[in-house]
Amino acid sequence: MVSASTSTTSSAQPMAANAWITEFLERLPAPSGDLEAVQWRGREALARQPLPSRRNEDWRFTDLGSLKALDPALLAQVEATEGTDPAAIPIADSADALPAPAAGTMRLRLDGRHDPLAGQTLPAGLTRLSGEELQQALGHTLARCGCEQHWPVEFNQASASHCLALRVSGSVAETLELVATASGESALLPIRVLLLLEEKASLKVLQVQLGSGSSLSSLVVEMHLGREAEVQHGLLAFGEGEACLLAHLAVEQEIESRFHSVVASRGWALARFEPRITQVEGAAHTDLKAIQVAQDHQLVDGHSRVEFLGPDGSLEQLHKAIVDGHGHSVFDGAVSVPRRAQRTNANQMSRNLLLSDQARIDTKPELEIVADDVRCTHGATVSRLQHDQLFYLQSRGIDAATASRLLKRGFCQEVLVDLPAAAASWQPLQRLLAEV
Amino acid sequence: MSTASTVSDLVSQPYKYGFVSDIETEKIDKGLSEDVVRLISAKKNEPAFLLEFRLRAFRQWLKMEEPDWSTVSHPVIDYQSIIYYASPKQRDKKASLDEVDPKLLETFDKLGIPLSEQKRLSNVAVDAVFDSVSIATTYREKLAEHGVVFCSISEAVKDHPELIERYLGSVVPANDNYFTALNSAVFSDGSFVFIPKGVECPMELSTYFRINSEDTGQFERTLIVAEEGASVSYLEGCTAPMFDTNQLHAAVVELVTLDDATIKYSTVQNWYAGDENGKGGIYNFVTKRGQCRGDRSKISWTQVETGSAITWKYPSCVLLGADSVGEFYSVALTNNRQQADTGTKMIHVGPRSRSTIVSKGISAGHSSNSYRGLVQIGPKAVGAKNYSQCDSMLIGDQAAANTYPYIRSQQPDASVEHEASTCRISADQLFYLQSRGIGFEAAVSMMVSGFCRDVFNQLPMEFAAEADKLLALKLEGSVG
Amino acid sequence: MPPKRWPFSLFLPRFPVISPDADLLLEIVDLHARVEDQPILKGVNLTIRAGEIHAVMGRNGSGKSTLSKVLAGHPSYTVTAGSVRYRGQDLLELDPEQRARIGLFLGFQYPIEIPGVSNLEFLRVATNARRSELAKEDLDPFAFEDLVRERLEVVQMNPSFLERSVNEGFSGGEKKRNEILQMALLEPVVAILDETDSGLDIDALRIVAGGVNQLATADNATLLITHYQRLLDVITPDYVHVMAAGRILRTGGKELALELEERGYDWVDQELAVLEVA
Repeated sequence: MVSASTSTTSSAQPMAANAWITEFLERLPAPSGDLEAVQWRGREALARQPLPSRRNEDWRFTDLGSLKALDPALLAQVEATEGTDPAAIPIADSADALPAPAAGTMRLRLDGRHDPLAGQTLPAGLTRLSGEELQQALGHTLARCGCEQHWPVEFNQASASHCLALRVSGSVAETLELVATASGESALLPIRVLLLLEEKASLKVLQVQLGSGSSLSSLVVEMHLGREAEVQHGLLAFGEGEACLLAHLAVEQEIESRFHSVVASRGWALARFEPRITQVEGAAHTDLKAIQVAQDHQLVDGHSRVEFLGPDGSLEQLHKAIVDGHGHSVFDGAVSVPRRAQRTNANQMSRNLLLSDQARIDTKPELEIVADDVRCTHGATVSRLQHDQLFYLQSRGIDAATASRLLKRGFCQEVLVDLPAAAASWQPLQRLLAEV
Repeated sequence: MSTASTVSDLVSQPYKYGFVSDIETEKIDKGLSEDVVRLISAKKNEPAFLLEFRLRAFRQWLKMEEPDWSTVSHPVIDYQSIIYYASPKQRDKKASLDEVDPKLLETFDKLGIPLSEQKRLSNVAVDAVFDSVSIATTYREKLAEHGVVFCSISEAVKDHPELIERYLGSVVPANDNYFTALNSAVFSDGSFVFIPKGVECPMELSTYFRINSEDTGQFERTLIVAEEGASVSYLEGCTAPMFDTNQLHAAVVELVTLDDATIKYSTVQNWYAGDENGKGGIYNFVTKRGQCRGDRSKISWTQVETGSAITWKYPSCVLLGADSVGEFYSVALTNNRQQADTGTKMIHVGPRSRSTIVSKGISAGHSSNSYRGLVQIGPKAVGAKNYSQCDSMLIGDQAAANTYPYIRSQQPDASVEHEASTCRISADQLFYLQSRGIGFEAAVSMMVSGFCRDVFNQLPMEFAAEADKLLALKLEGSVG
Repeated sequence: MPPKRWPFSLFLPRFPVISPDADLLLEIVDLHARVEDQPILKGVNLTIRAGEIHAVMGRNGSGKSTLSKVLAGHPSYTVTAGSVRYRGQDLLELDPEQRARIGLFLGFQYPIEIPGVSNLEFLRVATNARRSELAKEDLDPFAFEDLVRERLEVVQMNPSFLERSVNEGFSGGEKKRNEILQMALLEPVVAILDETDSGLDIDALRIVAGGVNQLATADNATLLITHYQRLLDVITPDYVHVMAAGRILRTGGKELALELEERGYDWVDQELAVLEVA
């Protein structure tokens, strides 16, 4: 067991954070299983770095109050039910509420404890990584993206005891759907996923993260896209109540690979999305789209970083937010174009709808360019719905409420159109906009 | 492609203003302590409130740390090896320019700022600051007829203590940051402008700063107050000799506009930038801020930054008044090992306040050029609007261009728009211009100047050509 | 009204070699050139005299656009052998801007957009650069504006284009007309028009061709680079050259263009094959 007393108590760090993490670490079950080494590593890291400090630029706008409000002792019981028969786990309870998988979709339920592949037949093109392969591959992409010591990653490593690790070869016809549902009092659901795409492989993967009660979902996904591989990735993240989500997505892209990602999120007391993309030799294409909705006292934070380590890469990024009530939306989008990344073409746009005068938006693009032959643009807008658009619709006989709903739908649709088709059964648009 | 390297060669031009004037100077000993602060105050015969202001600032400075959040880096500055007061030896009171040391006049002549009656720039009043001290202010009588006060800060302390006490430090508090605290403790001189109610200043005002001594820091303060309905256009220029060591320049500029008043503040900054290996040059750590206190008041910053080893400066507007307007137009050119971290803050507090930001960064050589900006819309700024545009041009593949535009909005009925792009001078564009008979240098200069046009258009007419020439000078030279 | 005659005598003292044949404007001999490591021109021979209109035709990739860029001095192309003499002077040793000033003009296939640089300012600087070579006084902005408005009529262009940035946001036809406007202002001795007809509708083509015809005199010459016959319907060439694989394969009168139009370029391949074997 890691003793928290070994951590040097920095005077800058409030005691509360230290006590919180100490309590959490002490109550965690002893590391074991496939990820034992990783768990040790994560716990040691957390002991050194209890919680991210807002003095750190990366966390400046992110109030972790909702996270600290969770009971660390309860969170630590993540594996309390380990050893029970999978059949006895009441997944079925909540499964009733889930829509039936769309045709051509392979649904896996991830609960952080059990092997989601048990009793399943994988579609052609997908194979489980062997234990040895897993040991080799795990963490590789995190390191390539420079985020292996990042707090949400270490937190996941400290607590996750299972990793869904798949190799993808050829073009997989079926959509892989990964569903994780967290509920209950200070319940922790750590999910770890690793996808290795071989050369020219292609995959559609839809992740669904649902959270309720005062649960905490921790998600770390690593993807390695070989040459000419293609991934169409969707993440639907819908929470309610005090539920929190920390989602980290590290993607390593080789030459001529294509990565498309769509994130749609709403309803979490605290949600943070961290896509980290590295084009290891450039010449790949990255497409990042996100729509995040915050209301009440919710905080939603999108922190992306795209790095081009070779020439001829491209990025299209569109980040959107709708904020109402006392909600707070943060976007921090870094794009790094070093000298060797000549002829990079990167476009980033942040569009924000601010609907209440109690709400707040912080948006911060960061462009770092050291190559002269590049085309990089970025832009940001913050406003309420456009008066002239509303007026145009109203002048055609549409009442104000309907007009504003139509415009918000349009605002979201621009992002949602690129979700894998299987997402439709989850009704993302309805979930995003109900009662906003 | 050879174009990049030849374009880089072009921007590496010798500095024209690097000479040192041989003028006898009174200096105090190196180092900073409470005694030094008291000594500076005593040398200037200051009233008690000002000494108190300095001492408070000094005590705060002792407790502060140098900021480290910007992208600039430099060796540790030894604040005890700097001379905090240097003054050219001359009679204290300059009844007329005839009494000013001819060598000083000659220096300013050489810099293209003639101060003598015959050669003065028409329609521009100049306050000339040499090292720490204002040596001459032209056209004072003519301005006084209109009720306009234009003099050095030291004179203003003597002649208008009530204005100084009311406004000094009211926009930029002494403890705002490390360098403002330092400046507030040791500032030696600078310019003071007061435009009374309803007066439109009849001529351009200008301050020209010259650092001459090698180991002297320059800590000047500028304070401009425009009362209700008043307006003024003000320009500052600056140069320094070439030394192997770095000189610290930590100035503070405060602007105040009351109802319906306008201040247009333009800077053409050409401090010595160091040599091609980054040796020497000015550390330009400056805090500039304006408060639009009145309704419908306006503050407009225009800057052309070409010099300094390091520039760290964010001329900002706090838009308190309803319908107040803030503007920031900037061209920053960096070359060799220069580092610039510059931008602006637009703080919207008042309803319907509007701001515009246009920033053009040009990076060449091994330099680093960062735009850092904050647009903040407070909860009461109903109907506020901001538009920002930040463009970077890279010359050669060793230069860095960074853009960090923060936006924070807490007001739904406000709109914020930001656009940024990065470009370079392409070989095809150059060839196209050349194939029409336009020489290589002229073609580069034409494109750089076209890139900066939106900003140059904002400079007062008298200086727009000057800025274009300055940029052209940096871009002029022999082709490969 | 044809434009003014060049003050010919003004040039003469400037050139070290005075051609015995005053009509001889451009003499290309065995010109070889490459871009990066790729040889494109493999021995071009071409002689152009005053008062002549030449057309170089050929498929994409035949080297015809390269020829125009090499003549104008584009830095991406390296001349590996051969010579080009312009009125007796070695053209290849000159910078692109010097070539332009002594009267060589290239009308670009894809005119370059230069944001921020005003079209009017650009035209004035270019015109004055040419004028100073002709020992004419600089035109101040007012005098220049008079001149440019007069020349605008040659290409029937709206004066509002002068206020915009060089070619920025211009349509294809507007860009081409802007090229001919430059030609009208610079009054070149040898004008090379690279695919000036591409991307033009029939009205724009007529306007552009009308401009070229107006500017052609007994003392200057035009070299048209084109793919299609349709430009030659409106500008009648004296000579047509067929280019393939970096060489001029055949030279004839305007009837050669019609033959190409009828037979296509396939026969060129056959002739080329014969040549390769030989």
